Amino acid sequence: MAEISFPLPDLGEGLIEATVLDWLVSPGDHVERNQPLVELETSKSALELPSPQAGKVIRIHGAPGDTINVGEPLVVFEVPDNTAGIVGTVPKDDVPKRRVRLSAVLDED
Amino acid sequence: MSESTTATLETATRNEATTKTQSTRLSMQQALNRALDEILSADPRTVVFGEDCGQLGGVFRITDGLQAKHGESRVFDTPLAESGILGMSVGLAMAGFHPIPEVQFDGFAYPAINQIVCQIARMNYRSRGKLPMPITLRVPSFGGIRAPEHHGESLEALFAHVPGLKVVSPSDPHDAYHLLKYAASRPDPVIFMEPKSRYWQKGDVDTSDGGTLTGARIVRPGRHLTLVAWGAMVARCMQVAELAAEDGIDVEVLDLRWLKPIDAQALATSVGKTRRAVVVHEAPLTSGLGAEVAQLITQSCFDTLKAPVERVTGFDVPYPSGDLEDEYIPNIDRILLGIQRVLEYRRG
Repeated sequence: MAEISFPLPDLGEGLIEATVLDWLVSPGDHVERNQPLVELETSKSALELPSPQAGKVIRIHGAPGDTINVGEPLVVFEVPDNTAGIVGTVPKDDVPKRRVRLSAVLDED
Repeated sequence: MSESTTATLETATRNEATTKTQSTRLSMQQALNRALDEILSADPRTVVFGEDCGQLGGVFRITDGLQAKHGESRVFDTPLAESGILGMSVGLAMAGFHPIPEVQFDGFAYPAINQIVCQIARMNYRSRGKLPMPITLRVPSFGGIRAPEHHGESLEALFAHVPGLKVVSPSDPHDAYHLLKYAASRPDPVIFMEPKSRYWQKGDVDTSDGGTLTGARIVRPGRHLTLVAWGAMVARCMQVAELAAEDGIDVEVLDLRWLKPIDAQALATSVGKTRRAVVVHEAPLTSGLGAEVAQLITQSCFDTLKAPVERVTGFDVPYPSGDLEDEYIPNIDRILLGIQRVLEYRRG
């Protein structure tokens, strides 16, 4: 397994830090992409930070009330070795869904 | 279960001596990885490089394990500078190498457009054949993976418009394996557009027999209408064909494969039979390759066509980021509606 660290991103217009309000995930949790990870407060607003990827959370950094600088580790994910580095999601071949039905009388001339 | 864990890869079995049949079940990622491995082994002039292609093995794992096997002088990482990746390819080709560079995502081909259009495409012409450019540019292409901006685009019409370039896009693992090896063997530059949403689906790869590697390929024969597609849209058109069959419409699916040159004869043969055609692509409508396909069909089948060729395409907007791509990429219903318009058409 490989570890991928997700550092605190710049949450907008050059902010340099954020304060942890509440963790919404715990180590060991499996998260999906875009699932809220943590509530943070910056000097501008409070916000929920979505997960940049799917994976198993193995470490979180900062207890509620702690301040984390942009670029410092926030969450560490564990992913299979051979999926480390993959960008985007892997699409599934779903059962095709349709709403349109074809109606045509074919003149086979 | 996360979507990404479905990407868990099986190590491709390389023990071909024990298998009588050469057919192996591989994902497109595995097929491309194996093809690159074999190209590197067979041709000492080949070099493979790009952002994260070396140590990491590529963000889509296409070059996984190749640096460890073939060494850092033949498989290596580059700086984040596509103009440099393609500029270096020009110099390497001049010096007798066979470069296989990667542009990590289609949207990052733009910074290298000068090197591709003004140098790679023209050097053979400019030098009166003294400096051929045997470069295979791998470009993970098209959308479908919920990626951010610049990570999902459909640039085939841009490349196809440039004299001197050849453009190809495989739609399944078997074609990916063979077309990459074929492209790498050509003396001309080939833009190799890999449908990144199809990297992980498996298919049977017959490594011993690639069949005909030029031109288009009929993926599903049918009588009533020809769906023309390439890359990731071929799989979707196959779904549409199965649904259309439920309604009594027998659809032929033609995988164009080569987007430059386009197989005009295959279009003529298929639509000459079905007399109806819909072309499907992810790129915007205006000046997309669908127009070229429609003209080629009209030229050869004008007298027998039942209806004007329909185009079902992306919209004339920048390729949207992941959250909106389902609204942009032609979906099953939009393709069915295109078919319906053709079926309903009456002359006069």
